[in-house]
Amino acid sequence: MRCRRLALSAIVLAGAFAGAVQAAEQKYATRLTAVAYDGAMRANVQGDGQVSATLDGSKLTVSGRFTSLPSSATSARLYSGAGIGVPGSALLDLQLNGQTDGSLSGSFTLNSKQLAALRQGHVYVQINSQKAPEGNLWGWLLPDHPFPGVDVPEQGHGFLPQLDVPGNWIEK
Amino acid sequence: MLKIRRIRRLAWIAMGTTAALAGLWSASQAQSANAPFTEAQARAGRAAYATNCGGCHLANLAGVGEQPPLAGAGFMAAWGRRTTKEFYDDIRAQMPYGRAGSLDAATYQTIVAFILLANGAHAGTKEFDGSETVRISAIANGQVPADIANPPRRGGGGDEGGGGGRAPAMTLGQTLVGNIKKYTPVSDAMLVHPDPKDWLIYRGNYQAWSHSGLKQVGDSNVDQLQLKWSWAMNEGGENATGPTIHDGIMFLANTSNTVQALDARTGELLWENRLGPLATRAYSALRSLAVYEDKVYINATDARLYALDAKTGKLVWRTDIAEQGKGFNETGGLIVAHGKVIVGLTLCRGQMPHCYISAYDAKTGKQAWKFTTIAAPGTPGGDTWGNVPDDMRAGGETWIAGTYDPELNITYWGTAQSKPWMQASRRSGTASTLYANTTLALDADSGALKWYYSHAPGETFDLDEVFERVLIDHGAQKTLMTIGKAGILWKLDRVTGKFLDAKQTVFQNVYSGINKKTGQLIFRPDVLTQKTNTWISACPSAAGGHDWPPTSYDPANDLMIIPLNQSCNMMLGHDVAQHTGVVQPEGEERLFFMPGTDGNMGRLAAYRTSTMEPVWSFQQRSSFLTGVLSTDGNLAFVGDYDRTFRAVQTTTGKTLWTVRLPTVVQGNPVTYEVDGKQYIAITTGLGGGSPFSKPSSMLGELHHPDHGHAVYVFALPDKLTQKLN
Repeated sequence: MRCRRLALSAIVLAGAFAGAVQAAEQKYATRLTAVAYDGAMRANVQGDGQVSATLDGSKLTVSGRFTSLPSSATSARLYSGAGIGVPGSALLDLQLNGQTDGSLSGSFTLNSKQLAALRQGHVYVQINSQKAPEGNLWGWLLPDHPFPGVDVPEQGHGFLPQLDVPGNWIEK
Repeated sequence: MLKIRRIRRLAWIAMGTTAALAGLWSASQAQSANAPFTEAQARAGRAAYATNCGGCHLANLAGVGEQPPLAGAGFMAAWGRRTTKEFYDDIRAQMPYGRAGSLDAATYQTIVAFILLANGAHAGTKEFDGSETVRISAIANGQVPADIANPPRRGGGGDEGGGGGRAPAMTLGQTLVGNIKKYTPVSDAMLVHPDPKDWLIYRGNYQAWSHSGLKQVGDSNVDQLQLKWSWAMNEGGENATGPTIHDGIMFLANTSNTVQALDARTGELLWENRLGPLATRAYSALRSLAVYEDKVYINATDARLYALDAKTGKLVWRTDIAEQGKGFNETGGLIVAHGKVIVGLTLCRGQMPHCYISAYDAKTGKQAWKFTTIAAPGTPGGDTWGNVPDDMRAGGETWIAGTYDPELNITYWGTAQSKPWMQASRRSGTASTLYANTTLALDADSGALKWYYSHAPGETFDLDEVFERVLIDHGAQKTLMTIGKAGILWKLDRVTGKFLDAKQTVFQNVYSGINKKTGQLIFRPDVLTQKTNTWISACPSAAGGHDWPPTSYDPANDLMIIPLNQSCNMMLGHDVAQHTGVVQPEGEERLFFMPGTDGNMGRLAAYRTSTMEPVWSFQQRSSFLTGVLSTDGNLAFVGDYDRTFRAVQTTTGKTLWTVRLPTVVQGNPVTYEVDGKQYIAITTGLGGGSPFSKPSSMLGELHHPDHGHAVYVFALPDKLTQKLN
């Protein structure tokens, strides 16, 4: 009887722990699109990509893919700026595989400042390439959210980063 | 003795001149040694420039409005540090406007050669082939040769040269005199309570609801809509208009300031008056005209106000809204209120007088009042520009027609941003630069300022708050609602101007918060420390979260349906030379997709105005480029850059009907009824500022013909209409 109770308690505890772990895990995602460009830069900053990231405690795991760069990728990094959509400085190097098509990945333990930046949506992924050494594709890591599809209405305002990501909008 | 002194002086002058010339020659030799183009290329480029570029950037390359200067200090500020190849790549990727990449490589090369020559570069012996990476400041100094700086003037309204928006040659004047028998003069009472069968006012009613009480076409039968007739409109210029309907007659403003009356049931032309001048550039839309009593009014793009006889199209009177030949411009339409025609004014930058709103007696055209939208030193609000001298206080343009509350006898207007765009360039600090980006409440009879509300003091990214002021009563509270480029939906008390509420409708990062008691916005900290010649991010871009395509208000559901755009930019402000009369270089832009949108530029959203709560929204790749029309049939109509015109269910946002039209759907949909049948009309059109140019630049996979201005009219099948009646 005692053993059963202990076993049950262990199962409940394990479940609770798993739940807590799951609750602690936060998913982020972004689509990689061209960095800010003008006509002179346009031909060199084409391409597309998708990145997802999981934050487990302070451990961030990043993976993604990219395609159709006009020139070979030379580096991929996490950057952080002063806001969502605000470019800033490099934080951490990602591992890069491939040339004009490929993948990127990385696993990091973030410090408190980096964690805060990520949670506020200020961290972005940027791929640099031979013809665009200061940026070819980028995308801001924002909380993963369901997208109902093009032309499909959703209730409310849908996903609005500065309202749905804490710390970006103050109402006094 | 005097003679000797004079000879000596002449000798000194001659020596000085020789030395100066020698210096210039030496400098020019230094430049010519590196100039990577030939004289023949520059000569050919001058002709190609006139054909493809001059309409927007002007024959003297000075630029105007959103079209940057291509010669002089402004050009050198933007391009001096960059290379000839970058410049070539830039114009090839983006120009001519609306036809990017449409010229052959040799023509682009000659245009670059001419522009370099126009900036003081000297032709060399090697042909420019687009690959040369010479720093522009190493071969050009921004000194414009006299024959280019002062070209022979052409006739017309300040537009010179050619360009992507040039209208085909056509005879101006009245081409068809009308003989309309059935026309009821439009009274003040009719404007206050418009018959749903008509579409009498720009936005449907004085309150700018863009809503119709008609419901023959409803959410249960809209899928049966079919084309009843269409009419090709003038090509050239910017077509972004909306028809006005009265007594079964459609009054239509075309580009080149052509006004037509059409039978609204069949599309038959009843009269036409081509007022001119011909459009020479893809800007300056005639967004509306107005009807009142027995006349049709139009504020032409050359800042002239016309009154035409509604039955014949003949000119009754004409008056100048602003001095001719100085480039003043009209683009926002007009409103008739209490016997006065009220108009705005644009393109009054770096020159006096400042922009103003003005009113004219509807019978005679005599000016009744004028309200200047820039506060001068020593006048109320004059201290809000810091130390900027009066003749450098630019902006505050009024390019969207105002609205009117007949009970209060107040007309409400929004104003555009101050210029140059960036705080660092205009040196005004964070001061509010009144009356830029403001709601103005003016007495309709006198133009006296009743109150104002400054939405975005110190705004710095070309984020206008100029758009429609929608008047909605919430119980006893009379409110005014508006939304600007920052995408913030504002609610004000329209009696007092007091701030009531605000809601964010699209992502923005320019402001990090708001004081909900006062409406005061809080800038993102790095915006306040901006410097010239440094890139800084802004979401939305200058295309605006919301721009000129207006909202619609459905009173039955208390829903405001809002067309929204999603793009961002990096902006760089120039050091602006403080010279009166100079078109100021404003800034450079680099575009990018808005975070969190998955590359979708268009968003349509509905908000309940009593609570300001969002009800629904959806996104799509293409930007919306028409206003929204809602009806009592639980429908909202809207069109987009990707040629789709659609009807959505007002209460849910679900798309119920779509049609693909030949080119970009741009303008303002309207609805009306003739002989028991409800019609829905929409225009297609090209040209325009940021809302058109941003998707053109960013949505490379979407294509459209570079012509096709027209109006399309839809209705239910006759048999179904008969059954419903």
